[in-house]
Amino acid sequence: MSGYSRQLTVLFWAALIASPLFLDGWNLGLLSQLMIYGIFALSLAFIWGQGGLLCFGQSLFFGLGAYAMALTTKDMIPGIPATTLTGLGLAVILPAVVAGLLGLALFKGRGLYGAYFGIVTLSAAVIAERLAINWSYIGGFNGLLDIPPLRVGWGSWQTELYDPLPFFFVVLVAALGIYLLLLRLERSAFGTVLRGIRDNETRATFLGFETAEYKAAAFAVSGAIAGLAGALFAVQFAFVSPAILGFALATEVLIWVAIGGKTVLLAAFIGAVAVKSVENVLSDTLGQYWLLVLGLLFVVAVVLMPRGLLAPFLQLPLPRALRLSGSKEE
Amino acid sequence: MEMTVLIGLDAASYILTLLLVCIGLVIIFGMMNVVNLAHGEFFLLGAYTVVLLQQYALPFAVILLIAFVVVALVGLVIEELVIRRIYHRFLDTILATWGISLALKQLVIVLFGPGSQQAVAPFAEPVAMFGITYSSYRLFVMGMAILITAATFFILFRTRVGLTARGVIANRQMAACLGVNTRRVDRLTFAFGSGLAGLAGAIMAPLMSVDPQMGVGFLVPAFLSVLVGGTASPLGALWGAGIIGGSNSVVAAIWTPVVAQIAVFSIAIVVIRLWPGGVTGKRKR
Repeated sequence: MSGYSRQLTVLFWAALIASPLFLDGWNLGLLSQLMIYGIFALSLAFIWGQGGLLCFGQSLFFGLGAYAMALTTKDMIPGIPATTLTGLGLAVILPAVVAGLLGLALFKGRGLYGAYFGIVTLSAAVIAERLAINWSYIGGFNGLLDIPPLRVGWGSWQTELYDPLPFFFVVLVAALGIYLLLLRLERSAFGTVLRGIRDNETRATFLGFETAEYKAAAFAVSGAIAGLAGALFAVQFAFVSPAILGFALATEVLIWVAIGGKTVLLAAFIGAVAVKSVENVLSDTLGQYWLLVLGLLFVVAVVLMPRGLLAPFLQLPLPRALRLSGSKEE
Repeated sequence: MEMTVLIGLDAASYILTLLLVCIGLVIIFGMMNVVNLAHGEFFLLGAYTVVLLQQYALPFAVILLIAFVVVALVGLVIEELVIRRIYHRFLDTILATWGISLALKQLVIVLFGPGSQQAVAPFAEPVAMFGITYSSYRLFVMGMAILITAATFFILFRTRVGLTARGVIANRQMAACLGVNTRRVDRLTFAFGSGLAGLAGAIMAPLMSVDPQMGVGFLVPAFLSVLVGGTASPLGALWGAGIIGGSNSVVAAIWTPVVAQIAVFSIAIVVIRLWPGGVTGKRKR
């Protein structure tokens, strides 16, 4: 645990806010993209680091959000007006509902745990990918093209956010907002119960907590955030395809979070940003060897540094209410 | 009538292929409590060994044997370097083996290129039976699956080595107290399970296009089979492969392969949810 974790956290966000001063449009677009992956990583870090639920199918919710956004703004869902706001709303609500229901179905009673949950969520993502490939209304294998950009404003004054700069600020506000929200949640009583379940579910049950409902609620929050990341992704690329629902992305996000550190939100966020930007730089020079290096780095991180490479430096001090217990910080 | 025989044979072929992949998986998962996501890549390595060795005009039986040994050695190295450090961290085994899987797959791409290769079947004449003709190599694969499963069960349940392995799994401390070298048993079991995956890949290679993605397609159905069947005993693999493979083939024959996969995966999730111990498992938590 570093004594400078708070300063580092503030410094990181300040640097992000100031980055338009130094970066041109192209790199701002790139940074927005990295932050979208960062938001996605936050959603997984919350459920995995705090809740102890190893979700191998997080891309399911990312893809659901992306498709919800794409279908709404392209006016392909009858009865729902094609606006940015309804699109974002649906992209958050739909994955949240799916995740919540899936969570309840899997956790209630003699629920699934550990590796079983991982394999089931992985299968769910594979099923969703297959469905999307074979559902021609939502574009089938080719996906959906020409997703309109974000549209802000009211009534007669409306404008579309084509430029990288305003879009960058939208993503930045989303990232910072979600980070603060999850941090608040993590440090609330809810987060404490969640960690209690993670560390010993039987004990939490005996203390009178409905662990299944807590886990399902956390899963729903995580799904909603992954969905929002997916929606922003769809807008930025103006394109969605079944691949973002499936296996490949689901495991990629696991790698980012594991390398960064699952128990510390900012570490997971930076893990995504760092791995992706290193990939952008190195995939040219290393070529085919990049994935080999990444795979081995991931193994090393899991085996030797299960807390992640960045988490030890960014672990924030415990909230005051929890410090009195005298327990050591996890 | 011919249609029924054909569907029946296809179903049997798929079930036995799945069983071939599962038997190594269930040994590593069920007996060692390691979720080995690199199993698909062990399968892949077996297949590439065949492609490589067929250039030297070796007899096919020798090639199969070498494939088993090569992949078993790979498994041994991976056990020694990675797996033994994380036996007590169940969830981390999924992650670490996923990383290994990624690295192995990429290694194959670096060495052999991303394109698909061809392995030649040692014999391929169609056989006429029950009023239909069927590929003789497919029949050979089915026979091998039965043989390998039987041999595995024989080793596990009828030999001293198998008894020792099951003893370590049942009670590690007690086995160690009785003078069993548990590290050696761990190593052997993991290598044996890996070798079986390699053998499965080698046997299947002539029937598939050998490319770096070939292992992934088997991974999800194989894992679902193991979970549906239950991990408490290797017998679960028989049940799981039968249920998943059988229902998949029948639904695919009635509707389409895509519908079959989506339906069977979804039903498998429900089954796993309702019986977390699998259909052969005891009711315990």
